[in-house]
Amino acid sequence: MRKALATALTVMMALNLAACSGGGSQQETTAASGAGGATKAAETTKAAEAGTAGESQAAEGSDGLVQGTGVTLTVYTNSGSDGRGDWLVERAAKDGFKIQYIEAGGAEIQNRLLAEKNAPIADVVYGLNSIMWESLKAEDILIPYTPVWAGEIPEGLNDPEGYYHAIVKQAILLVYDENQMSPEEAPKDWLDLWTNEAFDGKYEYLVSLSGGTVRNVLAGILTRYADPAGELGISQEGWDQIAQYYQHGVPAEDGVDLYGQISDPNSPVLCGQMWSSGVETRDQQYGTSTKYVIPEVGVPYAVEAISIVNGTKNEEEAQRFLDWFGSAQIQGEWAQEFSTLPANINAVDKANAFNQEIAQIPAQNIDWGLVAENIDAWVENIELNYMP
Amino acid sequence: MHMKTKKLSITPQTVCNILILVFFFWFVMACLIMPNINTIWSVFVQEGEITLEPLQKLLGSERAMKSLKNSFILAPSLALTVGFVGISLVLITEYFDIKGASILRLGYMTTLIYGGIILVSGYKFIYGNNGFLTNIFAGIIPSFPTDWFQGYWAVLFVMTFACTSNHMIFLRNAMRAVDFQTVEAAQNMGAGPGKILLKVVLPVLTPSLLAVTILTFITGLSATSAPLLVGGRDFQTITPMILSFSKNVGSRDLAALLALFLGIATIILLVVMMQIEKRGHYMSVSKVKTTIVKQKIRNPVLNVLAHGYAYILFLIYVVPVVLIILFSFTDSATIASRKLSISSFTLKNYEAVFSKATAYKPFLVSIVYSALSAFAVAVLVLAACRIIQKRKDKISTALEYSLLIPWLLPTTLIAIGLITTYNTPRFWMFNKVLTGTTIIMFLGYMIIKIPFTLRMTKAAFFALDDSLEDAARNLGAKPLYTFFRVLLPVVLPTVLAIFALNFNGLLGDYDMSVFMYHPLMQPLGVYIKSLTDSQTNADNSALTFVYAVLMMIISGIVLYLVYGRGENKVKGNNK
Repeated sequence: MRKALATALTVMMALNLAACSGGGSQQETTAASGAGGATKAAETTKAAEAGTAGESQAAEGSDGLVQGTGVTLTVYTNSGSDGRGDWLVERAAKDGFKIQYIEAGGAEIQNRLLAEKNAPIADVVYGLNSIMWESLKAEDILIPYTPVWAGEIPEGLNDPEGYYHAIVKQAILLVYDENQMSPEEAPKDWLDLWTNEAFDGKYEYLVSLSGGTVRNVLAGILTRYADPAGELGISQEGWDQIAQYYQHGVPAEDGVDLYGQISDPNSPVLCGQMWSSGVETRDQQYGTSTKYVIPEVGVPYAVEAISIVNGTKNEEEAQRFLDWFGSAQIQGEWAQEFSTLPANINAVDKANAFNQEIAQIPAQNIDWGLVAENIDAWVENIELNYMP
Repeated sequence: MHMKTKKLSITPQTVCNILILVFFFWFVMACLIMPNINTIWSVFVQEGEITLEPLQKLLGSERAMKSLKNSFILAPSLALTVGFVGISLVLITEYFDIKGASILRLGYMTTLIYGGIILVSGYKFIYGNNGFLTNIFAGIIPSFPTDWFQGYWAVLFVMTFACTSNHMIFLRNAMRAVDFQTVEAAQNMGAGPGKILLKVVLPVLTPSLLAVTILTFITGLSATSAPLLVGGRDFQTITPMILSFSKNVGSRDLAALLALFLGIATIILLVVMMQIEKRGHYMSVSKVKTTIVKQKIRNPVLNVLAHGYAYILFLIYVVPVVLIILFSFTDSATIASRKLSISSFTLKNYEAVFSKATAYKPFLVSIVYSALSAFAVAVLVLAACRIIQKRKDKISTALEYSLLIPWLLPTTLIAIGLITTYNTPRFWMFNKVLTGTTIIMFLGYMIIKIPFTLRMTKAAFFALDDSLEDAARNLGAKPLYTFFRVLLPVVLPTVLAIFALNFNGLLGDYDMSVFMYHPLMQPLGVYIKSLTDSQTNADNSALTFVYAVLMMIISGIVLYLVYGRGENKVKGNNK
């Protein structure tokens, strides 16, 4: 057995080396994607047949949608989980697009795009948040394109220079469980957490600062104290607030969801940060009844957007894909499927009741340019000097 | 020098040797030096000028200094405690006559199939807030602090038992190589059991013990999950900080600098150890092997104590695994509250995992990549060890140090170095662009496993008896034949064990994979992370446990196939 295993490994190894030295990696990739393409083409035909079977639905669905030409597009996203990526591949195939996607955390996607700058693999990237989009734009990772639906997005969400365009809105909330804390007792703003003694040791803060949500929370607090003369553009008062935030909170436990803490009677934690589309499933899972704080200044919105990657070899197909994906039709289906809040005004009515409610929360006025320029330095400063 | 004396006769042998050296020169330059030199360079030279800013930032940070100090407190204390527990495990399973040793051994080996966050979570189910033991204590003593399992002692406790894997493999292998005739001789001369253990047995274990102690020390320096989960506010270590800095584009210089600190400490330690190794060849491994006969503990009191100790250790090792398996059948709320009940038992998690038609693919991708990389690294390091052992000159020393480079940097930075170097055609990679290919992740996996593999394989090579090789040569065997038929079989159990450990370590890798994977080949670590990070699925901790259990099964099978069976065979040969 051992021998057999070793032989098998040797053979595999030899094949691998052969592929490496012989044809050259470029060629191999093409061959691989070629093969992938072939199977996918077969799938597409099947999908098309299925489409004809349920004709009325298909006809309605593809009504007026841009069609792809079948060139394979590589899509990077941090929003491909819960079957989103697979749904996208299948749904796009119905309209002639061939999609393969890479799914990872926002920070990792950003790092990967930066590292691959000279030889980009991705054609299109979607998801992320304004902070990351601004930084990608500054690093020359994106190319501008104005999709046909750009005018259907509320003002202020798209990049004025046309590098990225909004698809989904996500409110960044301070949440609590109504069963444990009444709206009267609840904090009225983030600052209450550390200025009001009642919340001392009752809220959770994240130890890892690489996530999009936590960075939005920090931006929402720090930009209130913008001061060009201050350290990293923030006044001392602002940094004092951050120091207080970490002094009076409870660090998140790796592997334990905020709702795990909230619903656990033995845990002192009663509130913490949450992105809006995660609320409903957690209420189901943990039996909580979530309420959220609406500060006077409003809440930060993480705006997921879409853009074309600088250096793509399939720019035209990528443009067609953007036109297709951000359309009211597809964003509406996306919202129904994954309970999101679409940015496209013609798709908002497809969002469920909870997201309709979220849509009413006023947005906090945040200087995203300032944030994008400084967020890495802020995070570094916090990790070095403010986190306990 | 050796070649020159042969009057320019170019035999296939010398051509082969030269080719191997050329290959290593290329590999070291292309895979270890070029990608990493930029990263290290960027720490000290920013915008064309030498800067001390990162250093100042770190020195000015109370948190960084405290974490660094904690790491340097943890490493030596861990080396001691793990050494103690590790040696006892080997004595219990291999040296003393303890009832049920084979079951005990299985229990002690559980750390080989799981680790990291999952392992620490397992311990928290017992000792943490709401954990079984905590609840029992709190029931007896009402004022018992339920958050007692936190800080330095908690970290030390968890890691002491989590880090004995290397002892269970390498120290055990060494123990089995002890020549029982030496023990018998000492007995005949009237030495007591204690004296035999200290003066006859332990000296034989020394090279392996040194090697595993270095590894424990390094593990202590780079502790991540345990301080994060049970360190509390007062005992955070430096590696979590390095990891988070390395993911932040603007803070990579800090990550690299901190990692260099640790790396240099590691290298200094290694240099000292290498000197000790060079000084002596303290092997008294038997040539005509007499398998060890397990020693009865004659003193009845000590015997009972030893059995008690062995079984308490067994419980410490096994209960966390059992709990993880049980909790994988519950939901996230149950996991968070740590209260098992029949009513929360569900098969849904497993259904969710297996109902997806595509769910098997990441497993396949990771198994193939891990197996190929673990195999390649084993071959590469075997060749390197042969050179290091044979040449003992400047070239071999340079080779040895070069192969340790990956210990200087955290995985994330090695990955980023590889991509940023090979996203354009470079001379060193034959002008091939590597990003976006299926090869780059294979290279990355290999690179991060080289130092560990080198360290342990070298220890096995040093245990080789020169006389074996001399005998083969005198009998007219060619060097290659000698290597494959005489030397390799002796080191093979160790090499296979390292293969299994590397395979298991790579199976769930995330830090390297996420930067390198090919769009059509999503590996397991990335897949799991995307499932558990998902926004609409709140049941992520339950899924994490399910995948942990599935990975335990794969790791267990690999260990059995590669190591367990091999071990029996070797045992059989000895008889």
